Amino acid sequence: MITKKLIDRIEGEASIYFDKNGDKVKFSTIAFPHFRGMESILKGKNALDALVITPRVCGICGHAHLMAAVRAIEDAYKNAEHKIKLNDKIETIREFTLIMEMIQNHFKWIYLTIIPQLSKLAISSKTQTPLKGAFAASIATKAIATFAGQWPHSSYMVPGGITCDPTNIDTLKVQSYLNELIGFFEKESLDISLEKFLSFKSCKEFEGLEGDIFDIEKNLFKTEMHNKGFSYDRFIVLGAHQFTKPSKLKKTRPFPINAKYVSTIDSYSPKEHSYAKNAQYKNNFYEVGPLARTMAINLPIIKNMHRRFKDSAYSRVMSRIFELAYLLKYSKTLLKSLDISEDSFVKSVNISKISTQGIGVVEAPRGPLMHAVSLENGIIKSYKIVTPTQYNIGSSTEKNPTPAQKAMIGVSQEEALFIFRTFDVCSVCTTH
Amino acid sequence: MRSKKDKKPTILWFQGVTCNGNTHSFFNLTNLEQLLNHFEILYHPSQQSTLTFDAITDCKEEADIFIFEGAYDPSMKRNDVLISDILEYYAKHAKYIIGAGSCASFGGIFKASAPKRNSGLIFNEEKHYGPLLAYSQKVINLSGCPMHPEWMGYTLRMIANNQEIEVDELHRPIELYSNLAHHGCARNEYFEWKVDADNFGEKEGCLFYKQGCRAPMTHASCNKILWNEVSSKTRAGTPCFGCTEPGFPRLDFFTTKTNMSIPADVPLGISKRSYLTLSAIAKTFHIKRLEGKLIDYKKTH
Repeated sequence: MITKKLIDRIEGEASIYFDKNGDKVKFSTIAFPHFRGMESILKGKNALDALVITPRVCGICGHAHLMAAVRAIEDAYKNAEHKIKLNDKIETIREFTLIMEMIQNHFKWIYLTIIPQLSKLAISSKTQTPLKGAFAASIATKAIATFAGQWPHSSYMVPGGITCDPTNIDTLKVQSYLNELIGFFEKESLDISLEKFLSFKSCKEFEGLEGDIFDIEKNLFKTEMHNKGFSYDRFIVLGAHQFTKPSKLKKTRPFPINAKYVSTIDSYSPKEHSYAKNAQYKNNFYEVGPLARTMAINLPIIKNMHRRFKDSAYSRVMSRIFELAYLLKYSKTLLKSLDISEDSFVKSVNISKISTQGIGVVEAPRGPLMHAVSLENGIIKSYKIVTPTQYNIGSSTEKNPTPAQKAMIGVSQEEALFIFRTFDVCSVCTTH
Repeated sequence: MRSKKDKKPTILWFQGVTCNGNTHSFFNLTNLEQLLNHFEILYHPSQQSTLTFDAITDCKEEADIFIFEGAYDPSMKRNDVLISDILEYYAKHAKYIIGAGSCASFGGIFKASAPKRNSGLIFNEEKHYGPLLAYSQKVINLSGCPMHPEWMGYTLRMIANNQEIEVDELHRPIELYSNLAHHGCARNEYFEWKVDADNFGEKEGCLFYKQGCRAPMTHASCNKILWNEVSSKTRAGTPCFGCTEPGFPRLDFFTTKTNMSIPADVPLGISKRSYLTLSAIAKTFHIKRLEGKLIDYKKTH
């Protein structure tokens, strides 16, 4: 018998249809039921309008969409023999605000999704503090807004640069937001210092620690999540950034990667129409996101987890938490390197002179986000978006399941619902 | 059933075709927890709530404040229930209906993706149209893409205090939308003397003449109640896109359409002739202070 379960408390909504063997999941299909049609809005518009329209694909990772859009347009400039050379200031500020968006996302996911859902599964009676996640996120978004004017839905990146021209008043303010955020994470989430947390090389070192993060870790063990939620154990990272490394990983072995091998196919969702397409790399499913990114840079603690617990739900959750910690520290270094005396904008030819195609790839909070644009005299002929959730949580056949479908096989329905959320699902991006 | 003794007003936050942007914008509100203590949350898409989503689509409970985020798509079902039935039920029983964001207010971005089908709750752009026309008198629109967190904060605090919220003809609170986004813009002096910004990425110059800024024609308090408490689009050198107005999204966001080198759309309520005269005069002055850089870090370094 097939049972339908409506999934809320993710970004948007999804339905899962479970086919069970006794009380264990034999197979499941996933549908994202709501049509949104963002790509169609863009057709016939000025390329720069993508900088305003595409961030509105998603309320939680719109900044990643902005950066993918600006990279796609700059790639089109390059392909039209008008390469724009960005300076360090432009790259640093763009990268910094992208990372801050990732940090706000991870905080919300920890406090609004993972703790409540895991507590339910682990039957924990500890008082919950979901608004801690919103509060921490609001500090990160203040740091974004200082450069980007606002968050969500900023459009401060333009081909050739950024629209802001910050002073030391701004950078000092951002520095203090970052310190406040790190202080909050140490006091409210870790109960130890960030440095100490990042110095851990083995999961065994968590023993005896008390903060929210270590409660999560204990509950993951209690619910056997280190033995559940396994997927393909192969990963891809596509976006070029300093904080991770574009690569394809089969278990721990890295291979080179090229975005041209990304493709999308219709999803298999026999019970309900789904507006989501599955994304693949060289016609195979790969897991994307923080586990992939922290594996790609060989973060010692993640390597240790992976050696012991492979790509289990445990590793997936803990890697996201470690990525948050790692990015907090990394963004401090990044901010220190910022030289505000450089220009914020490099002038190039008018967009109406551009008639080529361009691809922009970034790492969004949940994994690689790709925008591909085709331009004629600066007007959009076609626009295609491939989002991280399309890699992780597509819906395919029993013979060839997607990473999330595979991870839910063989566990109880309640466990499957938790494992589903360990991928950090974004339905709104998926049905762009 | 919930206890009748619980006197806190109840909130139901429900979504149509949306990006969740208003949900995430609201999470930025300072003192969010303090505000929420005044209410009971029956349902919210990302927060702990009293009721499950199944209970909400059963349409048996009532909420005092019905918040709707996203565009209305008449063919949309939530949990197999037609959204029009859900809207009708909660609108009928609510004391207040709040349209959170431009999609719920006027159709916004998600009207643009299905222009013949989708709309806002009681407006299709500025035309009276939508599923809740019969309950128009209860509707408060907080347009903006997304809405500013403080705008929702203000509205809910006013309701908690039993204070009356006066609205404009598009049902937006006058205290929030009587201003123009232009008010409080840090580039106002450049606007006064018609000094335009040559490029993006500069502190100097007004974005109205070349970069497409719509702040002088847009009702919003973005430069009065700052975003994330720190800034605004124009302060960060980004033109205002007019996202609080019914015509959003327009075309060519980063370009000002001009007529005889004067913006085709002139500041709200000013006649084109007056504006042309004033601009022509202002442009004859060459004010050195406004033509140079405010700070030149390259020199000081």
